[in-house]
Amino acid sequence: MNEELSTFFYVPVGTMMLAIAFPAILLPTPNRLITNRWITIQQWLIQLIMKQLLSIHNTKGLSWSLMLITLTLFIGLTNLLGLLPYSFAPTTQLTVNLSMAIPLWTGTVVPGFRYKTKISLAHLLPQGTPMFLIPMIIIIETISLLIRPVTLAVRLTANITAGHSLIHLTGTATLTLSSIHSMTITVTFVTVILLTILELAVALIQAYVFALLISLYLHENA
Amino acid sequence: MLSRVVLSAAATAASSLKNAAFIGPGVIQATRIFHTGQPSLAPVPPLPEYGGKVRFGLIPEEFFQLLYPKTGVTGPYVLGTGLILYFLSKEIYVITSETVSGAALAVLVIYAVKKYGAVIGQFADKLSEEKIARLEEFKQSCIRYAEDGIDFEKEKQAVVQKRHYLFDVQRNNIAMAFEVAYRERLHTVYREVKNRLDYHISVQNMMRRKEQEHMINWLEKKVVQSISAQQEKETIAKCIEDLKLLAKKAQAQPVM
Repeated sequence: MNEELSTFFYVPVGTMMLAIAFPAILLPTPNRLITNRWITIQQWLIQLIMKQLLSIHNTKGLSWSLMLITLTLFIGLTNLLGLLPYSFAPTTQLTVNLSMAIPLWTGTVVPGFRYKTKISLAHLLPQGTPMFLIPMIIIIETISLLIRPVTLAVRLTANITAGHSLIHLTGTATLTLSSIHSMTITVTFVTVILLTILELAVALIQAYVFALLISLYLHENA
Repeated sequence: MLSRVVLSAAATAASSLKNAAFIGPGVIQATRIFHTGQPSLAPVPPLPEYGGKVRFGLIPEEFFQLLYPKTGVTGPYVLGTGLILYFLSKEIYVITSETVSGAALAVLVIYAVKKYGAVIGQFADKLSEEKIARLEEFKQSCIRYAEDGIDFEKEKQAVVQKRHYLFDVQRNNIAMAFEVAYRERLHTVYREVKNRLDYHISVQNMMRRKEQEHMINWLEKKVVQSISAQQEKETIAKCIEDLKLLAKKAQAQPVM
């Protein structure tokens, strides 16, 4: 498990399939209207997040709502489960994140260019730019557009991996310090606790951010 | 705790597998059997009020009950402690940085559950209660609407029962109107007939009066014609003598 955390491009297939499939157990499907506490809170959280995410879309854009909900839940749950000791977070692998980001980004941009070419091309030039800057701006905006899937994937990977690495390293420091000078392990242990809190927050926030950005790209391109 | 989830998931999976289609290999298309199970899940069994009892938030009570006959109350605790110490001392479980992060996570989780567990549970219960209240309110409003409809209908039926009074009154009014019209016309007829008869009577009266006047005038004219001049003189002298006699008689008697 330790080796898997420190390499980007090593793909452990068996544990990854398990790790990707496991969060589904934590999201039960209710077969009744008034459910138990677990499902009620899940439903409430999903409603809370999705109201924010989907309020900007028109009817056509709302056909993406299931995709966005699934995305948020998957990334959030896998990130959170990755914080458990001896577990594996698939979102630390660039392959997983790229395979999520590239199709989703393409799905927002390519239909936009196909059906509303003028509007999509118009997004490349903000309003009110001076004439002599236009060629530069167009090139810069095109590059920023084309690099979006990479940024989506790398942002998620880097955040989660960095958090895991920090916790791992601080934990090792705690262990090493315990034999050198036992009193300082309180400091490092508190650091580990704080980092864990941060990581919990980051896990959820990154999930939300991923889905939000895809939703924004979708909204831009109609 | 998760063991119960797995058991219940396995139970539902097994039952659904039992009801699902069975496709034997090498069977021809026509004999495939689909949808043999019951398509509905109703009535859904009620949710249990409380979850299963656990100790340390992880180990179900049934485990302790399982070991109770052989090892008494302290059995599972001794087993747990022994296992942990065994794993640690034999380095089957190695203390790594994961242990530290796991310990930190455990501290956080236990703190959060102890502090906010009940609050979150009550919040979830409140959400469910609000949902039930909304549905109940809707149901009550439907029932009220139906009851109002029934009352309205009953009221209208009672009104319809009393409709004959209205018809009787209208019938009486119309009969009176007919009566009045009949009498008016009768009176008009009477008046007209009387007019005609009066007319004839007045014509007759007028004719008779005219005849009388005519006759009187004719008679007077003839009488006046028949009186000669001689007769006239004699008549006037006779009258003067009568008047003188009367004057003497009057002088004889004093005037009262």
